[in-house]
Amino acid sequence: MNLPIKNIAIITALCFCLPATAQEHHDHGNHAEHDMHEHHDHDHQATDSDHAAHDGDQATGGPVLTRTEDIESALADGGEPIVADVLGVVCDFCALAMNKIFGKREEVAAIYVDLDTKALSLVLVPGASMSDQTIADLAVQAGYRIADVRRGDEALGIAS
Amino acid sequence: MTVRPALLITLACLASTTAIGRPVSYVGGWTVIGESDRQSSSALVHYTPSPNMSLGFKTEVNRDSDFAIYSVHPTLLAKRWFGADYQGNLYFHGGIGVASGIHDNPGSDQLAIYGGVMADWETRSLFVSYRNRYLEAGHYAGQFMQAFRAGFAPYEGDSGDLHTWLILEIDHRPSDPDSVTATPLVRFFKGPLLVEAGYNLTVNQPLFNFTYRF
Repeated sequence: MNLPIKNIAIITALCFCLPATAQEHHDHGNHAEHDMHEHHDHDHQATDSDHAAHDGDQATGGPVLTRTEDIESALADGGEPIVADVLGVVCDFCALAMNKIFGKREEVAAIYVDLDTKALSLVLVPGASMSDQTIADLAVQAGYRIADVRRGDEALGIAS
Repeated sequence: MTVRPALLITLACLASTTAIGRPVSYVGGWTVIGESDRQSSSALVHYTPSPNMSLGFKTEVNRDSDFAIYSVHPTLLAKRWFGADYQGNLYFHGGIGVASGIHDNPGSDQLAIYGGVMADWETRSLFVSYRNRYLEAGHYAGQFMQAFRAGFAPYEGDSGDLHTWLILEIDHRPSDPDSVTATPLVRFFKGPLLVEAGYNLTVNQPLFNFTYRF
């Protein structure tokens, strides 16, 4: 084994860096998890709603539709909004796969994958429909899994 | 025999192999993966017919030993672990083809068979992976290699943004005089294109990889 000193220095530096980064991420994860509990447990609190509006989650539970230009346009045309929570979406290749699979469906007028909220935002063509099972099957084709689907006002974050 | 090596090397520079990006794409997707490391350069083009496998054609030029491998290259996604904030994958990869001498290597064509395991786990800011491969190519090679990677993203980009990762790769090739080497590298990806550039500090060789998905 021929490991020069500079290599050992890099490995050592990484060993120091990674735990710190991991701890930071772990803390973020706990924070997000904590926030999720807050949203579910304290729907009535104004402060919680303010926070939810800020980070894209609604007090009714889960991320809401991400408003891109295409999505706004499709909504204006009268298409049904759908938001699906996606498991495993951690990179831009994941978003690309979802865009490719869902984007070629005739029922879909607009699509956006939000890596921050891990949510797939869809607006259907006016008059078109897409079942939860179809959405789940398409996600599998893209290589991912759907955890939850919200539609209509719930997808828009409008409390019923 | 001079045109084919030149073509292979050109292909390898344009594209080259294995565990960068995802080795299985979305159903119906094509992927071009290129790798060039301290020992070899390779190009893999694969198609994904189902969520659990891809099938491709790979060319690999071993610069140290002056031989090339032309192979059919299937990859099986054995298991994917999903979470709201992470993804983990276990793949089996392999190939069967022909190994031929290049440059002035007079060796005859040999059957080449290889196989191995790849595994990765990543969040939006942390990444670890492991891959290994055993190659049997007659009198050209009987080689084992394994590589471990760990990296982090200094920021979390959203869809369509430029994503950046800082990664350290440690590779182990028992048959090589420098059996263990370290390569720090930077990975960029944006949309369908992923590019990695690094430098092997142990043997002073550059590393260049890319993946393009369509």
